Amino acid sequence: MHDQGAGRLARRVSPVEYADGDDASAFSQMLGGLIEANVESRREKRADFERLRARVGVFVTDIDEGVTLDFQDGHLVVHNGLQPGRDLTIRADAGTVMQLSSVNIGFAGMPNYLDSTGREVVAKMLRGKLKIEGLLGNLTTLNQVTRLFSVQGSADQEPAPDRSSP
Amino acid sequence: MAVEAFSSEWAQLFKDEVNKSPVYRQAAKGWKWRVGLVVEAEPDRNFPESRGIVMDLFEGDARDIAVGTADEARACDFVITAPYSRWKQVAMKELDATRGMLQGKLKLKGDLPTIVRYTKASQELTECTTRVPVAWPDE
Repeated sequence: MHDQGAGRLARRVSPVEYADGDDASAFSQMLGGLIEANVESRREKRADFERLRARVGVFVTDIDEGVTLDFQDGHLVVHNGLQPGRDLTIRADAGTVMQLSSVNIGFAGMPNYLDSTGREVVAKMLRGKLKIEGLLGNLTTLNQVTRLFSVQGSADQEPAPDRSSP
Repeated sequence: MAVEAFSSEWAQLFKDEVNKSPVYRQAAKGWKWRVGLVVEAEPDRNFPESRGIVMDLFEGDARDIAVGTADEARACDFVITAPYSRWKQVAMKELDATRGMLQGKLKLKGDLPTIVRYTKASQELTECTTRVPVAWPDE
């Protein structure tokens, strides 16, 4: 018999899973953790997450490490390394990958490439320091992923209790 | 004159460097959490006991930076943990702190989106450590 209370008592299921379990790399955990925190704190990011089905690779050139983010309509499986079948692959150094998370989201939920952070990102693309493979035909996916990465606009979800000035 | 690594004198000089930095002041606007750095012991490198550095950072100001126990540092809102030799690499610019975190060489505890939002500020904090003249116990 179905226990009606079980649903209420059930443990919260994380939307992010690590294919390599305890062997998930620090980079996998960081990207997975960042997306999970964003999705859980922002309704609009949750909506993006729920309807995103794509395999996205992120490779950090200066640490020679990559991850594959397998978005499955509301569930994300993070794999160590670049796995086959990717729709998009982003290659950049560590600083640029972090900078991607700082891209502001502007009008109609579009990443803002016109402000200073956005312009720096575009400049890095033009200089070849940020490469995005598979962009053709996947621009919408890139925008969704950028929104999921972005930590901007979530200042109302700060983690720790406010500390007043002395 | 060089000061002993991760000592009270080092903490005072580090705090002075942070408060002298216009880059940090600008980048850390809005930051209001305590950061703990845990420097894990490495007896074979003449650093026998773990130490904690508790950084009271508020709106671009270093209100206090104090050396205490590792547990005191672990109680902060954000905690970065690494063995002594890793911190030495960071302070000597041999290891970029962002890369170190992505590689798991520096372990981070705390709300990731907040940390990422203040990447520039944390990079400048690292820069500030490199400006403090240090006498390393294993040299």
